[in-house]
Amino acid sequence: MKKAVLALALLLLAIAPFFGQIDLPLSRLLESNSMEHKIFFDIRVPRVLLSFFVGGILALGGLIFQTIFRNPMSTPFTLGVASGATLFTAIAIVLGFTALSSLFAFGGAMMTVIILFIVASRFNAYDSTSLLLVGIALSFFYAAALMVMFYISSLQESYEIMRFTMGSLDIVGFKNIIILACASAFLLTVIFKYRYELKLLLTSYEFAYLKGIDVKKTGYIFLFAVSVAVGTAVSFTGTIGFVGLIIPHILKNIYKQSADKLIVPIFFYGGVFLVVSDLIARNLGTASDIPIGVLTSFLGAPFFIYLLIKGRK
Amino acid sequence: MPINITDYTNNILKNISFSLEHGEDLIILGANGVGKTTLAKVLCGIFPSEAVRIDSITPSKIYGETRARLINYIPAKLDVFDDFITVREFLELGLIHGVARGQHPTTVDDVLQMLTIKHLADKACKLLSSGESQLLLIASALLHDAKYTIFDEPTANLDPKKMQILFNILKYDTLLQSKLVITHNLDLAYKLGFNILFLEDGSIKFHGSGSDFFEQSHLDRLFNGAVVKKNNNIVVKL
Repeated sequence: MKKAVLALALLLLAIAPFFGQIDLPLSRLLESNSMEHKIFFDIRVPRVLLSFFVGGILALGGLIFQTIFRNPMSTPFTLGVASGATLFTAIAIVLGFTALSSLFAFGGAMMTVIILFIVASRFNAYDSTSLLLVGIALSFFYAAALMVMFYISSLQESYEIMRFTMGSLDIVGFKNIIILACASAFLLTVIFKYRYELKLLLTSYEFAYLKGIDVKKTGYIFLFAVSVAVGTAVSFTGTIGFVGLIIPHILKNIYKQSADKLIVPIFFYGGVFLVVSDLIARNLGTASDIPIGVLTSFLGAPFFIYLLIKGRK
Repeated sequence: MPINITDYTNNILKNISFSLEHGEDLIILGANGVGKTTLAKVLCGIFPSEAVRIDSITPSKIYGETRARLINYIPAKLDVFDDFITVREFLELGLIHGVARGQHPTTVDDVLQMLTIKHLADKACKLLSSGESQLLLIASALLHDAKYTIFDEPTANLDPKKMQILFNILKYDTLLQSKLVITHNLDLAYKLGFNILFLEDGSIKFHGSGSDFFEQSHLDRLFNGAVVKKNNNIVVKL
């Protein structure tokens, strides 16, 4: 079963760049100065890679947040990291720095993390619920500030901000892919380095403490690594919801193994999920692509409700 | 390397001071809500306090193997967040960095055998019954092998046979170093024969030998006649 799924996933990854609004006949692809060649290598392949890395980061971020916050509903966006990015993108657009919006988005995500760290230093190590609530409060604050930005922006600016909040995987060329690959590598390295600590946190904070772990510091390290990676991803793609929620839950139910063993599968299938979602979004035959964040939320929200109902039983 | 707590006070406990030499064992008794679990968590540093010293080290101030080797606390209830961590995996986590990895005399399989839970090795911790979880926690204490191990009501969910196994481990086995046992089971406390620390209203009411504590006249004063010594057993009148 697992092998069949893996084979299917690899196949989907391989064929994904071949499908889109414009048909690309194989014979024309190999001609290096053809239009098809350009579309394939400058747009389609980077887009699939972008989807893959972003999906992987969001899914793995979800797993880590669920572990640290002891809350199966938390995702990298729960703490306001994405809302921070969105707000700062809006600020960049309104101030006329549209070209720098990625940088602003990253700054917004990081600023949120820094605020969280400062607040968290006032809580004790076992009080993850309070930190979660602070994150939610921050999200609401950002949402209000975003409304202000909408209010003072022109129609064109409003549209650009709106488009960012829907998520987009439009990208040209490989430069940004390298940045995302580095962010992914950074996240995976940190998680693997602290795998023993992660496994202890999967039992209980007290148990982890008694085995000698600095619970608070370990939590911060994970929080920081996830936020850097998610902040980077969000700065390129805008908000793409629910990947971090769906993928860890589905994979735990398929593999039936402790989360520390699922790091690579969750990253991989998170990536595949977003590639496939994007493949669907690009090929529905509408005049323009359905925004990716809309599609993942359409899939994710019902699943979220299903989880809630299942959890109550 | 004794463990010391000096004049510790919080919202439940008042002016707690005592010390325990390494190698000595202790029973901690007291009514529900008197602060026994709080005291245990203070001693091991889950609730950090400068009042606690183990060989002049405050446990909550250090990290890593050094602290793990000093003191361990076995809660009354098993708490595991992940749905799929198995009994074996949980026990492997109990083998602290360096301590285990071949050097400790007890292996995961040994303790599973000893506590008669070998058949549960690949079962998820979340699916264990309360008694089975308690045995798992005791197994993890054996593997952890701290200088001081605090057991919080280790017998609360055990059937009579398992109770005997645990009794033998606490009383005769040399696998554990100093043991501090929080319990409501007075007969167990009596038979173990350790020194007794009795808490009342957040303070230490008695700290001394088991034989002094279990004098009938002393029991009468503490429990208003609810507890009697009969044929060398401690019985609660019902």
